[in-house]
Amino acid sequence: MTPFELAEPTSLKEAIKLLDPDDPTIRPVGGGTALMLMMKAGVFKPVKLISLRRIENSYSTIAATGDGLRIGAMTTLAALERSADVKKAAPLITRTLKTLSNIRVRNVATVGGALAHGDPHMDLPPVLMALGATLTVMGPKGERKLAVEDLFAGYYETVLDKDELIAEAHVPAHGTKKAAYMKVTTGSADDWPALGVAVVLEGDAGGIKSARIVASAATDKATRLKSAEAALIGGKVDDTLLAKVGDAAADEAEYIADVRGSISYKRELMRVYVRRAVRAALEGAK
Amino acid sequence: MATTTQDAAKVGAQVGRSVQRLESREKVTGRAEYTHTMRLPNMLHAKMFRSTVAHGRIKSIDTSAAKKVPGVLHVITIDDVMKVIPNPYYGPAFHDQPILAHEKVRFVGEPVAVVLAADPHVAEEAAQLITAEYEELPPVFDEVDALTSKVYVHDELKPAGTFADLKHLKDAKNTNMALDYRLRKGDVDKAFAGAAHVFEHEFKTQKVLHLSFEPHATIADYRDTGVTLYTASQGPSFVRTEIARLLGWPENKVRIKVPFLGSGYGSKLYIKLEALALALSMIARRPVKVALTFEEMFYQITKHPCTFRIKSGLDKDGRIVARKCEVFWNGGAYADIGPRVTQKSGLTATGPYEIDNVSIDSYALYTNVTPAGALRGFGVPQLVWAYEGHTDMIARALKMDPVAFRRKNLLREGRPHATGTILKDAATEKVLDKLVERMNWSQPFDNGSGTVKRGRGLGIAIKAVITPTTSVAIVNVSGDGSVTLYCGTSDMGQGSDTAMAQMVGEVLNIPTESVRVTPRDTDVTPYDMGTLGSRSLFHMGHAVQRAAEHARDQLKALAREVGEPENSNTPIRELFVKRYGMQAGNVIGTGVFKPDYVPPAPGTGLSDNVTAFWMISGAGAEVEVDTETGHVKVTRLVNVLDIGKAINPQVVESQISGAASMQIGFTMFEKMHLDGGQVTNASLADYKIPGFHDIPPMENITVDTYQSNGPFGAKGVGEVATFCVSPAIANAIDDAVGVRLMELPLNPETVFRAIRAKAGQPLGDE
Amino acid sequence: MSATKTISFTLNGAPVTADVKPHHNLVELLQGQFGLTGARETCGQGLCGCCTVIVDGLAVSGCLYLAAFLNDGAEVSTVEGLDTPAKLSPVQEAFVETAAFQCGYCTPGFILMVGQLLDEHPDPDDDQIKHYLTGNLCRCATYPQVMEAVRLAAKKRKAGAAA
Ligand SMILES: Cc1cc2nc3c(=O)[nH]c(=O)nc-3n(C[C@H](O)[C@H](O)[C@H](O)COP(=O)(O)OP(=O)(O)OC[C@H]3O[C@@H](n4cnc5c(N)ncnc54)[C@H](O)[C@@H]3O)c2cc1C
Ligand code: FES
Ligand code: FES
Repeated sequence: MTPFELAEPTSLKEAIKLLDPDDPTIRPVGGGTALMLMMKAGVFKPVKLISLRRIENSYSTIAATGDGLRIGAMTTLAALERSADVKKAAPLITRTLKTLSNIRVRNVATVGGALAHGDPHMDLPPVLMALGATLTVMGPKGERKLAVEDLFAGYYETVLDKDELIAEAHVPAHGTKKAAYMKVTTGSADDWPALGVAVVLEGDAGGIKSARIVASAATDKATRLKSAEAALIGGKVDDTLLAKVGDAAADEAEYIADVRGSISYKRELMRVYVRRAVRAALEGAK
Repeated sequence: MATTTQDAAKVGAQVGRSVQRLESREKVTGRAEYTHTMRLPNMLHAKMFRSTVAHGRIKSIDTSAAKKVPGVLHVITIDDVMKVIPNPYYGPAFHDQPILAHEKVRFVGEPVAVVLAADPHVAEEAAQLITAEYEELPPVFDEVDALTSKVYVHDELKPAGTFADLKHLKDAKNTNMALDYRLRKGDVDKAFAGAAHVFEHEFKTQKVLHLSFEPHATIADYRDTGVTLYTASQGPSFVRTEIARLLGWPENKVRIKVPFLGSGYGSKLYIKLEALALALSMIARRPVKVALTFEEMFYQITKHPCTFRIKSGLDKDGRIVARKCEVFWNGGAYADIGPRVTQKSGLTATGPYEIDNVSIDSYALYTNVTPAGALRGFGVPQLVWAYEGHTDMIARALKMDPVAFRRKNLLREGRPHATGTILKDAATEKVLDKLVERMNWSQPFDNGSGTVKRGRGLGIAIKAVITPTTSVAIVNVSGDGSVTLYCGTSDMGQGSDTAMAQMVGEVLNIPTESVRVTPRDTDVTPYDMGTLGSRSLFHMGHAVQRAAEHARDQLKALAREVGEPENSNTPIRELFVKRYGMQAGNVIGTGVFKPDYVPPAPGTGLSDNVTAFWMISGAGAEVEVDTETGHVKVTRLVNVLDIGKAINPQVVESQISGAASMQIGFTMFEKMHLDGGQVTNASLADYKIPGFHDIPPMENITVDTYQSNGPFGAKGVGEVATFCVSPAIANAIDDAVGVRLMELPLNPETVFRAIRAKAGQPLGDE
Repeated sequence: MSATKTISFTLNGAPVTADVKPHHNLVELLQGQFGLTGARETCGQGLCGCCTVIVDGLAVSGCLYLAAFLNDGAEVSTVEGLDTPAKLSPVQEAFVETAAFQCGYCTPGFILMVGQLLDEHPDPDDDQIKHYLTGNLCRCATYPQVMEAVRLAAKKRKAGAAA
């Protein structure tokens, strides 16, 4: 890693001021776990990092709101994993975190970093997308709301400006919805996923009223599979319907090939795992 | 179970006891010192600039920008090296590897230039500013292509002269072949012509690597009067010889010290970073540390990928009458110890079977990728992968039970191996019997239904130890009666220090815990050929036993001299006091061991004494295959081994489970991905190794054997458990879903593609 | 060039002060300024656990943790703080008795993580052990022995607490 400067502002506003919309060598850092990997590999050589670690404490807290959760962007993944409020309102998040990375990383990594990195292999983005989460984004001109669904622009790319920060995430409570996330690895058990599938459904095996199905890792960004959702809604959920849903998902998604699998293979994984995830959601999590 | 200190106090029963490792305290407190984390005062750090092309002539290297970085002291290329070491080539079998790229680069990642600075970050930053221009040459990557390719990795071969069977390759041109080992027994062509069935298959293994958690590291401290190297090495004696040769110095001016070793598995053998560190310290006239990052290990040394064409002829009763083996070893850009791998494992390519007509050709080949060397098995796992797959395929085709087929052809104790050496202390039958029993092979097996299918499979293997090699040991009894052992075996985690101390304790009738084993330091530890190929416990064990016996005999003589009755209990200290009038003096026992050996005859490869001992193992696997995705879950792994007598049962158990688990990685998912010679997954994020969740339920069984020529009946155990894991799992997959995989790893996509191909719906190539 | 900052914190219980550059990680700080090499960098990617350090009670990967992230007053503990000249910690004892290491390079990281595990689950089942230790890799693959060590350590800690 080559030398750089570190600024440690004590407020979010100050942090935004220190960022530069036109200078990619100045970047915010949350836990640094993702950024450090790029810096160590020499892919990213910052001139200056703006640490968010000393900004207002409120951005590191989780609160239950009337209809769900408000999660500060600097909340660590470990705090998210352990939060009773999260477990109550959105148990899918709690379950997902168990197999997300490892304890040491979760102790440091932040929710903001997991989203802003735009890494399609991460587990939280598809889950938050399927849950219909939204973000509060702050910039020099104030704040704006952004659905997580609209955050990702491409492979490691988001729609955020270089001087915008994620301040908070808002997650609607599951309520009566059924949810599942499946992470498929093709290397060791603790590998990054070759495919992630998040499913949030309203209804039951007799008929699904609404569905959000999101794929990640096999795709260049977390992506909603709208034709699979459409195929699922309405009819009785049986093998025939699930096969249709799986086929729709497999056809709809666009894939990337890497050491974890070819495009053809990931397409087949998609076909199978969308089916399995829907079934798992309906059967309820163990 | 662990033993208590009460047990330890009991003398006379040191061998066969689960003594806690002598270095336990240092390791669990984090205070063990490894080269990679060591520092010397005034030390500089080195960072390398590496080749980005697989094969090319160096036109120019631009170091000007790097030199301008504040804090940079030197930027060094081969021209600078040659001012201090005029002939900068090194290697164990061939002197083919330049300290830095010389005229040509031969693989992506080859070191081309080095930056020295006191701050490693500065050196790293500067190294990134170096550029080089190459005239690119066509590369050769594949081992089979390499044999006939018109692309030559080396213009001329340079055998080191260490090994007699490489002499004919001296100055050879226009070839990529660094060794052609051949074995001929009987009349293969005639036997094939008369065979009732002939089967021919081609198996492949992928490029994988050791990834010891302490990456390679060396610190050189060169002075005009002598040089000291602190190095993560499995073979300090060899390093000393080679460094002395490069300097043109006598060996006594070269001191090699090996601190704790964060494992090696074969990656730290012979000479690795030592020559470079030496050259850098000579130039800087300061201590210099060369320490690889995790990523850089992908450019240091790997296992050999291998293509194995195996052909068998059978009579109508299912007896193998002829076998032809053609083995192509992908050695990478520099020979390292590849020629040894090619020959020493090549000679067992026909497996643990008795076959009258045999032909083996085993080729060490140069290619334009990271060099390959020994990795936990010295080539044998690659061979077993092929011959045990082949064996199962034949049994299936002949509709014979795979066990019955193996029994019919098994090479048994007292019978001649293909080389002509009679099999002795090699429990092929016991191992197979025990394996069959533990796998409940005679019971029907439920192959499952629905989308998850189950299967079982097994394999059995043989290895000859690298022979002949030499070990020397010294046992020093001090005036107070305390005992120190000096031996050059590098304890890289296999527990050799403890096992050697147990042997000393056994002979001298003292608790193992009281024996000190000195750290490796060639100024005090005598010669040892190297910690490799499961040779140490046998060879060094003998030397240690002899040294301890020598010391014991002298102590007895001392007792007689001072008038003690035979077998008196007088403490040793008192003997010294009586002899020297005070606590003073030493008794020094020395031991040397080199086994008998008859080199393979040129042309036929035959020898009636080709190995000091045989290693035998078997493995059985049960698997579940998800037919919708190709995911394979190993639900049971049974390892059965002939290891002779266990000197330390607890250490033996962890060697077995460790070796088998490592092979699980090589079997299921580990693979270096290469694109145009460029490694595309050089990190632990993309090159996955087994973790907690990847280790199957395992049963490890050692059959009751005694190595009659071994020290206390023992022989090596570090590698045997790797041999059969891969074919056992592939055979089980075949049993489950009826597909045969010919290439490792058996990752989900590979399995799934095979399932689809068999169903007539092959998956596309996208 | 980057500015150095001075941080005062406690290291294995003792107050210390260190000059930290922004681009130094925790492993470099511990090795370079305090001579502590129990946390060592292997993968450099947060995956293997060889660099484990406990910061304010939580395990972190020292390879990915900027030294400058330490707050004044932070409590940092490393494997070197676990034993006394007379006695190993129960977890260390358990690792010795079950031979739960070979080369020992990964061992400090495992020992610290097992400490964290037992703090939270004094009586862990196999799934909890595996879950907690998925982020610790051992190339010597001493996993079965580590499982045994954790069970033994749990017993020892309970016996110690009862005594
Ligand atoms: C060993 C390892 C294993 C992992 N395994 C998994 C896994 O299995 N599944 C998974 O999902 N993830 C995994 N991860 C990724 C991990 O989740 C991310 O590294 C982490 O979430 C990033 O958070 P951070 O706070 O450390 O981000 P940082 O590294 O601090 O930042 C990441 C990016 O986000 C930007 N950023 C940070 N905070 C903000 C903000 N508030 N607003 C705007 N931009 C911001 C930074 O500029 C940077 O570009 C793994 C990581 C490691 C190191
Ligand atoms: S070195 Fe930090 S986790 Fe591997
Ligand atoms: S003991 Fe060697 S890496 Fe774990």
